[in-house]
Amino acid sequence: MSTNAEHPELLPYGKIREDLFRPLSGLSQKYAAAIFIPLLVILFGAYAWTVQLRVGMGVTGLQRPVFWGFYIVDFVFWIGISHAGTLISAILRLTDAGWRKPITRAAEAITLFALMIGGMFPIIHLGRAWRFYWLIPYPNMRLLWPNFRSPLLWDLTAILTYVTGSAIYLYLPLIPDMAQLAEHSVPWRRKLYRALSIGWTGSDTEWHALERAMKLMAGIILAVAISVHTVVAWDFAMAIAPMWHSTIFGPYFVVGAIFSGLAGLMIVMAAIRKFMGLEQYLTRHHFDNLAKLLLLMSILWLYFTLAEHLTVWYGNDPGEMAVFGARTRARFSFLFWLMFAVNFVIPFILLGIRKLRSITTGVIASFGILLGMFLERYIIVVPTLSVTRLPAATSAFYTPSWVELAITAATFAAMIFLYLIFSKLFPIIAVWEFKPHPHEDEA
Amino acid sequence: MATWLIGEFREKDAVASAIQSLRATGVGDKDMDVFSEEPVEFHKGVLDRPSNMALASVIGAIIFGGGATLLMRAAQYNYAVVTGGMPTFSFWGTGVITYETTMMGAVFSTFGYFLWESGIIRKRDKTAPVPAVPPESICLRIRCAGDAQKQKTILQNAGAKVLP
Repeated sequence: MSTNAEHPELLPYGKIREDLFRPLSGLSQKYAAAIFIPLLVILFGAYAWTVQLRVGMGVTGLQRPVFWGFYIVDFVFWIGISHAGTLISAILRLTDAGWRKPITRAAEAITLFALMIGGMFPIIHLGRAWRFYWLIPYPNMRLLWPNFRSPLLWDLTAILTYVTGSAIYLYLPLIPDMAQLAEHSVPWRRKLYRALSIGWTGSDTEWHALERAMKLMAGIILAVAISVHTVVAWDFAMAIAPMWHSTIFGPYFVVGAIFSGLAGLMIVMAAIRKFMGLEQYLTRHHFDNLAKLLLLMSILWLYFTLAEHLTVWYGNDPGEMAVFGARTRARFSFLFWLMFAVNFVIPFILLGIRKLRSITTGVIASFGILLGMFLERYIIVVPTLSVTRLPAATSAFYTPSWVELAITAATFAAMIFLYLIFSKLFPIIAVWEFKPHPHEDEA
Repeated sequence: MATWLIGEFREKDAVASAIQSLRATGVGDKDMDVFSEEPVEFHKGVLDRPSNMALASVIGAIIFGGGATLLMRAAQYNYAVVTGGMPTFSFWGTGVITYETTMMGAVFSTFGYFLWESGIIRKRDKTAPVPAVPPESICLRIRCAGDAQKQKTILQNAGAKVLP
């Protein structure tokens, strides 16, 4: 194997630029088909939402006492996936991990799109989505202000901050690449790139400001990312409900979020590598490092899951034990143990045994983890509400309706769709960051 | 009208040496700009660009967080909701929003200060030429102060190709 194959950053700058800018040009039939299928699923999901808006929340499977279902599961799941990017990118940037370079932009884009998707679910779940603006504090004739104590408002501010920060964090390192693309041959692209490069000239003043801003933003975004999923966890933990009212819910959710985010990133990276022909840039080394991180998060996830369940079991509180039993031995046990298998057993075997660890097994484990984390969210949300505590209350069996399933499917399609559009408009690997700067001080 | 000189270099050390020599002839740091396709980092003391970005970030954070907290306090006292015997306004109940808006302030002020500090949103000298930097090269642009011919010689002696 040649040196350049092992270290693509040693390739000539012109070659790197050509390779990374090439996927932006031309539209193949495969690409058109890849974008058309998700678009159809999105349109069907949009139709399902219009049905819900027209008919009301009765079209969902939600019924007394289960008022939180798939939409809240989707919300928590997608906010979790959003931790793939900014958080991972920020950690790797702050620790100056060299192997992060081809990964960061792909990861940051996941964050932005996952947040856009996840942030829609509280609105969809509201039922009367057109009343959404009541959450925003502004002087009004009704003399009504939002209740700032409500975790719903905490979510709003947390997600708004994270979306804003992530968008800027994604945009900043794009500026120099946009400046390089500003002389693109296609007129509309030229206009777009020129507008986005905001007059970047490549002077040292600009580079210094950019690097400072990136470092500061990495620190800020790290603090925001952790807080966002903690706030999402507090949506549950602030309620005095069995198996929700837990002090470790914040970190438990953060760990789960990073875990699912890494799995999402692994899948996206493998897809980019294969379909954009970037085998030379996204090497086995990158996947190996991601797999190790994934394995570490799998073990951490197991630790938190055990800590959460063991304390409940040992406490033996009847209210908590009813939910614990529903999760582990009764109605939801199949989902619970499936979650355990795909979140821990399979990744541990596929990623933990060195001989088995490869890009393919990493992707298989990642798909399993995404399924497992979706199940985990479901198992957290639904059993607590299904098992009632009042003697006269009847428990209900929640099953998502076609509307909820269609909207959920549309969100996955939306992720693929947005990613395909993004990868056609912008280089998926930061060109200027990729190469070790030849003029850098070696010391 | 200002006179400008542009030297194209292949080596970072040559640029650093040219900068030090030009300083001795009276060219200030503000009159020198290094252009490159990638960030160039010199040793400390060579064209340092001091920055107040971190301070701006902190100030923005305080303004946003403080402003949001005051808004919440005013709203909760003027349009009180039933709190079940708990205080009308408490940092426990609104702390998350204070934290998030503080961070929002830090994000906005960092981005705003980046635009300012980088010169992107400041008025630029339109007579200043912006060199098209060839790959793997570094261009040094100087606004000549004093003897332009001497400064051109310094650039050439440091190994630069002086661009017309």
